[in-house]
Amino acid sequence: MDSLRPLVKPPERSRRGVRQVPWLLALPGVAALVAFHLVPVGFGAYYAFTSWNGLTHASWVGLQNFRDIVDDATARGALLHTLELAGSFVALANGIGLALALGLNRALKTRHLLRSLFFAPVALSPLAIGFLWSWIFAYQGALNRLLGSIGLSSLERAWLGDPSTALWTILVVMVWQFSGLAMVLYLAGLQGISDDVYEATLVDGASPWFRFRKVVLPLLAPALTVSATITLIIGMRAFDQVKALTNGGPVAATETLSTQIYSQTFALGRFGYGSAFALLLAALLAVAALTQLALLRRNEARL
Amino acid sequence: MAAARYTRATLVRELGFVAVAAIFCVPFYLLVAIALETTAQADTTPLAFPRPPHFGNFSTAWRTGGQFGLGHALQSSLIITVSSVAGLIVLGSLCAYTIARRKSRLSDVVYILFVLAIILPFQLAIIPLFVELRHLGLVGNYAGMIVLNIGLLMPLTVFLYTGFIRALPRDYEEAARVDGARLLRTYARIVFPLLRPITGTAAVLLAVIVWNEFFVALIFLAGSRYQTLPVALYTFAGDYTARWNLVFAGVAIAIAPLLGFFVFAQRELIRGFTAGVKG
Amino acid sequence: MTAGITLSGVGKVYPDGTRAVTALDLQIEPGELMVLVGPSGCGKTTTLRMTAGLEEATEGEIWIGDRLVNALDPRERDVAMVFQNYALYPHMTVFDNIAFPLRAHGLRRDEVRARVQRTATLLGLDGLLERKPRALSGGQRQRVAMGRAIVREPQVFLLDEPLSNLDAKLRTEMRAEIAALQRELRVTTMYVTHDQVEAMTMGTRIAVMRDGMLLQHGAPQVLYDEPDNLLVAAFIGAPVMNLLRGRIERDRNGLTCVLGSGRLPIAPNGSAAELASYAGTDVAVGIRAEHLGEPSAGPSGRPTLQGRVRLVERLGAEQLVQLAVDAAAVTADGGPTESGRTAAITARFDAHAQVTPGELCEVAVATERLHFFDLATRHAIRGRD
Repeated sequence: MDSLRPLVKPPERSRRGVRQVPWLLALPGVAALVAFHLVPVGFGAYYAFTSWNGLTHASWVGLQNFRDIVDDATARGALLHTLELAGSFVALANGIGLALALGLNRALKTRHLLRSLFFAPVALSPLAIGFLWSWIFAYQGALNRLLGSIGLSSLERAWLGDPSTALWTILVVMVWQFSGLAMVLYLAGLQGISDDVYEATLVDGASPWFRFRKVVLPLLAPALTVSATITLIIGMRAFDQVKALTNGGPVAATETLSTQIYSQTFALGRFGYGSAFALLLAALLAVAALTQLALLRRNEARL
Repeated sequence: MAAARYTRATLVRELGFVAVAAIFCVPFYLLVAIALETTAQADTTPLAFPRPPHFGNFSTAWRTGGQFGLGHALQSSLIITVSSVAGLIVLGSLCAYTIARRKSRLSDVVYILFVLAIILPFQLAIIPLFVELRHLGLVGNYAGMIVLNIGLLMPLTVFLYTGFIRALPRDYEEAARVDGARLLRTYARIVFPLLRPITGTAAVLLAVIVWNEFFVALIFLAGSRYQTLPVALYTFAGDYTARWNLVFAGVAIAIAPLLGFFVFAQRELIRGFTAGVKG
Repeated sequence: MTAGITLSGVGKVYPDGTRAVTALDLQIEPGELMVLVGPSGCGKTTTLRMTAGLEEATEGEIWIGDRLVNALDPRERDVAMVFQNYALYPHMTVFDNIAFPLRAHGLRRDEVRARVQRTATLLGLDGLLERKPRALSGGQRQRVAMGRAIVREPQVFLLDEPLSNLDAKLRTEMRAEIAALQRELRVTTMYVTHDQVEAMTMGTRIAVMRDGMLLQHGAPQVLYDEPDNLLVAAFIGAPVMNLLRGRIERDRNGLTCVLGSGRLPIAPNGSAAELASYAGTDVAVGIRAEHLGEPSAGPSGRPTLQGRVRLVERLGAEQLVQLAVDAAAVTADGGPTESGRTAAITARFDAHAQVTPGELCEVAVATERLHFFDLATRHAIRGRD
């Protein structure tokens, strides 16, 4: 009937008869991607090969910046420290996180409270956490006082002031803050293992160790991949904690690539040199992450 | 789930973990105790809880910490965090919606680019960005910081939303279309409300990241009256090195908001951080 | 060597106070297949899990063979379990899944291989040993789950609704296979299901449970022919037993049962004496569909009920005729149904009888096959024998 026609508007037809969401809506997001990630990374990579004070014209110097990094003891140290810190951090945070997740997964009455406690530091500012611990490790701070009071004064030392212990002290603070993150990731993975499968191992007669090795660990592979990747990124970017605890000292014993990027670029105005460090960090992170990912994915596929 | 048997071994394990947790939390005790001590107490007997507690450190930190007072910095952090997160949610979800609903080679490529951008360390991009934003007069003020936050965290936001939207059945959108709703209305009234779970998760995760951000804030807001809490804290700690009771009061002010937030939003926070495991 | 299972006064109360099982006494003989059957929530799965050791029995004793197992972990009880969703280890091949319990107990590699191979052949899984569970069909996965249980040669099998995830046709096939397998292996088996057809066809004996309590146990036919309890009568048998509310009256011919507007004389058999004490009161009356037929069949002069035909289901070999009769129906709990004054009953008619929906019809009743139940206690009213 004619009177009905104006009420029903036929849907817009496109080539495939389906109304597509227009790319226009995605424009701000994609613009952000391009303007804040793709383009700057391109430029950053370019600046790594220049000498520049951030104001006037940048002049091309080829590989000179990288040669300078290799020649400079502080720069070499920063590279080494970044690798040491990141490597140990990933190992410790994941090991402890996994142990916590396994221990707090079932049965314990206080498990929810304990999980919250261990996870709490993850949400807090690493800088603030750094300052908190800098007193504990100070020469007149909690750790030394405690050692003194239980008769172990011989172990007292300047944890943050001694070049041989400073970096590892920072490691302790980072592990303290972020083990809870690994724990939470592994808990999510453990909860993905269906109760039925778990009970089947009980009835089948597997001892806890056998069960862990043959069933739990293989099924945790995806969580392992994610946790290892996230902790690697956190470890390699270490900045806040270093700034708070040692600011790169003593005697550059705790300089990392991130702190070098900051100080060279924004404190000393060597924008090209600073970019070289940034490019180095990006390259290292890419290599480390991809290698780790490949190893872990291969493991996952095999299982 | 079947409750596992609570044997003596389980009790031993429980006590063990409680002990570990207690030691783990000692830093928090120290934080509170020392922040409430006078300078004299902090120098001589810092480990004992002060009686009576001295609140003066907090007011010092609040009014004068880091050039403009931590109180002021907290306000800046609040403004920047809320604006950045709001912008990210609106723009990011729209972008994700487009990518998730357009099943084409191009949308797949764009998605992969977003994922890649998450892993790329922003230190490399920061240097050119700094120069560019300075050029545009966006260094040292709210607008610049907010725009920067939105730009830098867009990939993470899009990643979180895309996964969720892809799993959402199209039925509701199709029903709305049959009912005659246009695209934006459908999105605003139907799709976005359905995204509430992931919006909660994303908002909480992004808020924590923006609030705690130091490296970028230090570069862009150092010395500015609009500096955020981490930057102000850094200056404050530098000004009062070795005056631990004051520094700790500053630290306490800095972490209190998030700790409070954590108590209420734990579940969302945890969900935010574990969003990748399901992948 | 298989062993019997004895459950003595077994009960389960959860920490929050909910009671799942009450005072369960059941003896399962070595080598028999006992089916625990009942509606969901009746406690049958909880009982199974307590026997396995996955849940703790808060009351009573559980014996496997001559061992009291209450305090033992599952792995020490020498039981094997097949889970409803199979619980296959998703990252392992079929071979590794079946081998898992053997390896967990530390068997030598050649021994493991031999046993797994034997089990696989027994279950027809030979070509599938290298596949992962996700590449298997539902029926294949079910057999792998069984294989994992069988390979250990345990004292006892525990099966938790193993067929409920299969489609109807597969279910019928697997029922026969499992029953045959159990007979061949002669391992004591506790089998849980909510499907009474499965229970009837598979069990050496069946045990009907409801609301955490054991209602009746015995051979399937015994439960079918002589249910002790209104709940058992309503649960066992398909189509469901017709249950009506009737009044017992005494008249000059003896005892009669008044069903709405119809009267049925009560045959003077064993239960008549008991029924006499119910004269003047209402009871629940049950009659199976096969004991209702067309008036022309059977000896003439059979008592009849009159009803209007509602529905005729032609099954080929017979017809199921549903009639509305002027009598009140009764639910399994002994209460009235919503239909009020009219009840629907089902009768089995010969395949060639002429029945038309909507017409009035007489139905012959085999009154010696009537079941009577006390409305308050729901117990069967039967003579002492």
